[in-house]
Amino acid sequence: MRLTVDTYVGRESPLHRWWPRAKLVGLGTLMLGFASVQQIRLVPICLLVTAVLYVLSGLPGSFLRSRLRYPGLFLLGMVIALPLLAGSTILWQWGPLAIRQEGLLSMILIAGRFLSIVTVGMLLLGTTPLLTLIDTLVSLGLPPLLAEMALLAYRYLFDMADQLDNLRQAMRLRGFHPRGNAQSWQQLAAVTGTLLVRSYEQSERVYKAMRLRGYGNARSVSSQLRGWGHPLDVAAVGLCATIALTLIALQFP
Amino acid sequence: MHIPDGFVPPQLCIAGYGLSGLVTWHCLRQINRHPNPTAQMPKASLLAAAFFVASSIQIPLPPVSLHLVLSGLLGAVLGYYAFLAILIGLFFQALFLGHGGLSTLGVNAIIIGVPALVGYGVFQLRRWLPRSLTSAVRYGISGFLAGAVGMALAVTIFISLLIFAVPVGFDAATERAALLTLGIAHGPLVIVEGIFTALLVTFLHRTKPELLTGLAAAPQPVTNQAARPSGERLCD
Repeated sequence: MRLTVDTYVGRESPLHRWWPRAKLVGLGTLMLGFASVQQIRLVPICLLVTAVLYVLSGLPGSFLRSRLRYPGLFLLGMVIALPLLAGSTILWQWGPLAIRQEGLLSMILIAGRFLSIVTVGMLLLGTTPLLTLIDTLVSLGLPPLLAEMALLAYRYLFDMADQLDNLRQAMRLRGFHPRGNAQSWQQLAAVTGTLLVRSYEQSERVYKAMRLRGYGNARSVSSQLRGWGHPLDVAAVGLCATIALTLIALQFP
Repeated sequence: MHIPDGFVPPQLCIAGYGLSGLVTWHCLRQINRHPNPTAQMPKASLLAAAFFVASSIQIPLPPVSLHLVLSGLLGAVLGYYAFLAILIGLFFQALFLGHGGLSTLGVNAIIIGVPALVGYGVFQLRRWLPRSLTSAVRYGISGFLAGAVGMALAVTIFISLLIFAVPVGFDAATERAALLTLGIAHGPLVIVEGIFTALLVTFLHRTKPELLTGLAAAPQPVTNQAARPSGERLCD
């Protein structure tokens, strides 16, 4: 399980320099604009804007490829299923297999939207440290309790993943081989339960340590981010909003 | 059972965010009624991280193996914190693994989070089970119901959203067949989720029963005895 997204956040690029609050709002608006696209003629615009942003970010292509691996399976399933199953206008037929026009168009539309939104999301996460992103969300109104939970969960995610790896290794060393029988299930339930019990006990120690440092006397999380950055940062938000609104407006004849 | 980016119209994404915002507000309100909500936060956070990691465990069901959602168990253990934990878990899944998506975060939170809250309610049924049953059996039955009902509800919401929100031009017969196949394929998962939740609940009942009381239980009335500072409280 790969549990980090901060590999390339230290690079230098216009997207890395974009003020986080403005970047979140700008790219979020753009994602909404892409999601609203219902006409296939607008898909190339979405892909073009996404490609320009990706080049501007200076992120390597391998970053996007690695992030698209799992969602790509959905895409593959759709690419195979839709042209074969959806629609009535047959473009090409070979025995029982037929490529249908409506399904093909739906596939291109959904795949285009999917690629654009996922890539813009990856741009946001690839150019902003996760802690800054959560701080930005707090500055935009995310409840502090939710932000505290997210920060603490992120902090201990790696510990939990290590603990699970240790438990799995210990089971393998004792000759455990998962089968579909009741005993296997009981052992897997015991492993999962052990992970939960350990995390619960650890949380009690964490809470005591936090109390000793003054946690609980006042809300601990408050955002350090103020304002919207330089005029250029705000102009970039305006540009994103213009593109999104244009895409929405172009839906109507 | 995660809806990826770009698959549903923007109206549904916005409605998902709106609805999950309302549920989050309700959960936070319930949590803040607790005498000391900050004391529960670290437990909820670490358990959320543990659940996130535990959901990667594969359960063998020959000839395949399954990943569990564990929404019913999350509800049973975390109470009202379960929805917040799921929201955070889905955010991390979209970030780290590419499951789901940022634009569909709200919709996915409703698909998995609301069943977790229902699972929390179902798990409370153990109090109404006959006293003639042993405590472990009562916990096992309510755990099975919480897991199975949570999963069944999640599948129902997921398929309903597919019916109403993904018009891709299937003819009626193909669409019916596809949805029926999807429903049938998820049937065993409902049973597996129920059995695994029951096994986990009985394990926790045996080893750490306080984990099963729900983190944000109803507030206890403050008595004079509870208000008096004890040695242990001062040491905290």
